[in-house]
Amino acid sequence: MFTEELLRAADENRKKDAIVWRERHYTYGALLDSITQWDDRIRASGLARGSVVALDADFSPEAVAALLALVRAGCVVVPLSSAIKGQRTEFLVIAEMEAIVDLSDPAGASIQHTGTTAAHELLVRLKTIGHPGLILFSSGSTGKSKAAVHDFVPLLAKFAVRRASRRMLAFLLFDHIGGVNTLLYVISNAGTLITVEDRSPAAICAAIERYSVEVLPTTPTFLHLLLLSDSHKQFDLSSLKLVTYGTEVMPENTLRRLREVMPHVELQQTYGLSELGILRSKSKSSDSPWVKIGGEGFETRVRDGLLEVRARSAMLGYLNAPSPFTEDGWFRTGDAVDVDGEYFRILGRRSEIINVGGEKVFPAEVETLLETMPGVEEAVVAAQPSAITGQVVVARVKLSAEESLSAFRTRMRQYCRDRLAPFKIPQKVILVDQPMHGVRFKKLRRERI
Amino acid sequence: MSSKEQVVQSILEVAREMNESLARRIEIERGEDAPLFGKEGVLDSLGLVSFIVAVEQTLDESLGVTVMLADVRAVSQRASPFRTVGALADYVVAQMTGQHE
Repeated sequence: MFTEELLRAADENRKKDAIVWRERHYTYGALLDSITQWDDRIRASGLARGSVVALDADFSPEAVAALLALVRAGCVVVPLSSAIKGQRTEFLVIAEMEAIVDLSDPAGASIQHTGTTAAHELLVRLKTIGHPGLILFSSGSTGKSKAAVHDFVPLLAKFAVRRASRRMLAFLLFDHIGGVNTLLYVISNAGTLITVEDRSPAAICAAIERYSVEVLPTTPTFLHLLLLSDSHKQFDLSSLKLVTYGTEVMPENTLRRLREVMPHVELQQTYGLSELGILRSKSKSSDSPWVKIGGEGFETRVRDGLLEVRARSAMLGYLNAPSPFTEDGWFRTGDAVDVDGEYFRILGRRSEIINVGGEKVFPAEVETLLETMPGVEEAVVAAQPSAITGQVVVARVKLSAEESLSAFRTRMRQYCRDRLAPFKIPQKVILVDQPMHGVRFKKLRRERI
Repeated sequence: MSSKEQVVQSILEVAREMNESLARRIEIERGEDAPLFGKEGVLDSLGLVSFIVAVEQTLDESLGVTVMLADVRAVSQRASPFRTVGALADYVVAQMTGQHE
């Protein structure tokens, strides 16, 4: 009953491609049949409304069908992707998992009961109202992973209005709010989901060319790597109409260069959080970091320089952390912002601000500048304690060619001298060989320094 | 064990690098007597932090010596170990041999 609206377009377009997976095309007719099979399987296994069910998956047609059937059955779905690796067991415990859908067995999918009965107040609340739910784990790049519990009904409400039917690339992962959003958008408008296993710039560009992808939802880090790789020159990307990017601060230089190399593509910033869903946002222009955030169902305000959002689709709460909401229901995002009329510019996480002798430094500003230096492939900036200035700015830098640390430091100081306030110029530089982003194509600041 | 002379050379090497981007340069020709921070010194506190970090990295790289120079102990010493190249070298050697005050 919960997926009626969501699947209406699918039902009207049974012959159309729903998903391209491992080079095979699956129609909406096939997807709907598969969902029906899952309905039977769920019924046979005795999963009741409110059951907490893990789904280890990528965007395979089978996984998508299982997800939609679980929602239809009123279950609380916990999508897990290979990106979580060693944390899987921990996540199963935190979410009080009652059953696990196993798609890995080639002989056929199965549903295994764990013997657990979920007792967390939020999970009980979902069981009581009989709504399907969604549990998303924050990516953990800033500390411990937190489990956000959503009522699926308000999340689905956003997709009740029909929008343009698009061919979208499933770049963001299955267990990420952005990935879930991509999937629901495609299905609700009978678009086509193009899935990939390799997320390197060349593989993504090849998929865009081969399947005439129109929309690429991605991250600033990926776009930066794409520009470095020059893959956009080797493939025909003329089908691409829209690139959306979120999850971290977009360097202005990357944005400007994208504008140059993809003048036909609309570039749009999104603002999404596991806790809130994806907010509709509108960039001031394609090359502007200023963005309007909100839209129907969302209100925004700024307190002490930090963005707060009140959202109809906000999560119910965390399973393993205190409530981040104010008493009157505003979610404290922890993102520091500049405000200009109705536009915001996101500066970065407050928790990542570096305090150098009382002066504030946002890592993204320094990283952005360093990445405009010739020979710099990636730069990640974070704080390190210092007895003299409290903290210092430490830059880990990946260079494209051999250069001594001393020579690079000299070059960097000269380059930054007229472009950054003195306290923002990294006091410490470490040269690294390894990429500094995770599988989700987001800069890792905490884990490495 | 590295001699003090090697440490002095490492510090002067960093001073040479810093001079490339300093408005007032460190007088490296004065050797151990070259002032760094404080009286006659040319480094401000940010410059000092960068300088010390670079010295730590250079000592680690060229002599295989790991020292923490900008700790609370250094900052609170009556005679600052950061006043000259020689004073800093003495402080490094003391740290290496565990004889710090």
